[in-house]
Amino acid sequence: MTHTLLTLTAVIALFLSGCGQTAPDLNGSNNNISDANAISGDTVSIDESNYGNESSGSYNSSADGFRSVYFDFGDYTISSEMENAMNNNIKVAMSSSSKIKIEGNCDEFGTDEYNYALGLKRAKAVKDSLVSQGIASDKTVIVSFGESSPVCTEPNDSCYDRNRRVDLRLVK
Amino acid sequence: MKHLFSIILLVHFFTLSLFGVDATLKIETDVEHRSRIALVDGSPVKNAQVFKILLSDLKISGHFIPDTTHHEGDVTSNLILPGLKGKEYVLKYSMKQTSGAKLFIRLLKASDGTQVFKKSYAVPARSKMPFLLHKAISDVNNILKYPSISWINRYVVYAIYTTPGRSEIRLADYTMTYKKTIIKGGLNLFPKWADAKQRAIYYTSYKELIPTLYKLNIYNGSKQKIASSQGMMVCSDVSKDGSKILLTMAPEGQADIFEMNVGSKSKRRVTNFKGIDVNGRYIDNESRIVFVSNRLGYPNIFKKSITSAATSQVVYRGRKNNACDAHGNKIVYSSRESNNAFGKNTFNLYLATSGSSSTRPITTRGTNQFPRFSADGSVVLYLKQTGYSTSIGYINLTSSQSLLFPYNGKKIQSIDW
Repeated sequence: MTHTLLTLTAVIALFLSGCGQTAPDLNGSNNNISDANAISGDTVSIDESNYGNESSGSYNSSADGFRSVYFDFGDYTISSEMENAMNNNIKVAMSSSSKIKIEGNCDEFGTDEYNYALGLKRAKAVKDSLVSQGIASDKTVIVSFGESSPVCTEPNDSCYDRNRRVDLRLVK
Repeated sequence: MKHLFSIILLVHFFTLSLFGVDATLKIETDVEHRSRIALVDGSPVKNAQVFKILLSDLKISGHFIPDTTHHEGDVTSNLILPGLKGKEYVLKYSMKQTSGAKLFIRLLKASDGTQVFKKSYAVPARSKMPFLLHKAISDVNNILKYPSISWINRYVVYAIYTTPGRSEIRLADYTMTYKKTIIKGGLNLFPKWADAKQRAIYYTSYKELIPTLYKLNIYNGSKQKIASSQGMMVCSDVSKDGSKILLTMAPEGQADIFEMNVGSKSKRRVTNFKGIDVNGRYIDNESRIVFVSNRLGYPNIFKKSITSAATSQVVYRGRKNNACDAHGNKIVYSSRESNNAFGKNTFNLYLATSGSSSTRPITTRGTNQFPRFSADGSVVLYLKQTGYSTSIGYINLTSSQSLLFPYNGKKIQSIDW
């Protein structure tokens, strides 16, 4: 009797376990699958060549009598070697009535947003130096260009040195 | 009667132990059970690239063990080559690229040639051929009731530097076979998908005096100015429903993270630190963020609540953890592990969670950067450089399957998926 009971139980359990599997839909007719329309739409092509920075090279450096300020790797403090450049920049800033754009730049070794923040810290250091010498804060605007605007693209140390810089120019 | 009661009890016990445990078990079984599948090309003109993309899709899904031989055969026939009868499925396909791209697929049981599924796909633009293939494999995956891999159908949007001071924003499929420039000229950076359906992007334009964030509908070209800030302006993350965004801005010259309500344009300052706070990503149902900060003197990953000031360190290893992404409570970050001031450094990717300090590496060599989770968090996209070659890499976190696709283009500035 016990044997019969166990066998019967096993058969029922196996039958029920078989019911738990879902077979694939062999017709493929009841599948909630979208077609490829979602990717057939045309996407835009926008040309902004007339906007943005002027020709490379001439734009990517200081202008209007200002001198670029250079920084050590990963650093955003103005070194004593840059004092002459900053003294010059203070004189030019004081003699001008225009707004001054201060642009922070980095070498190519940073990544993503962090490199732009590093460029920003450099621009801010130059701005703070100008403001401490009496230039009105609202006469300046700072922008970080991260690694987007190198003056030099050769893979060597002196080139990387020239890219870790702050450029200044008058807003026209 | 007593025996009948015993039988009912025993059956109940068996069924409970078979089905009761099993919601979770079943999911795990589904993922762990990978189907052996072969591809049979019935196209009028055989195309190695088509085969390669189908193979990649099957591999990276983590749900299939594909046969890597490019078999040929009649797509309309139910005949299964003797050598393929040991597989579970055979996927027969035919791709025509004469006017647009047209794909026909039939999924057959390898044992007897029974048809499980068939479907035709078409797009007018031939260049979008890879999307037909991704869609087909995604459908085959769904038919076999595996967890969704719809992320293979999504566009990747990325910005590249073209010349100093200029960039382009491009769209691609995940294999980077399809590529299209959507914004060229000017300096436009940090593209980020604005909605789950990928109809619009946020990006930062430098054509005005200060960086300005725009929202662009990539289908009709309508553009909306969202915000601008001196210093920097980046849309770092978008909430699930698209109503809120995390911005890195510097209104007073220090980079901090803000949350903006896109509808009302109201902003809330989330971090306030004199150093660098960038790269905010929503975690924990968007109640908190993880972000990169140099508040300990070096870049590392921190988290904080959107509404309160308390900030805590997430990662306790490495001293150059300079980028991260998040999904749910999972965090992936890149860590610089060598100290070359100039030249290539070793960057590896690590996986962490918001509730624990443990981390595990998911790459071990080369320069691995720009980690980005797929929309479902199951796969990580990243940029890999080894020697002089650059690739777009994918790691399926469930199956540990990884794939690399060569990338020969110009330097990538930012990427989103």
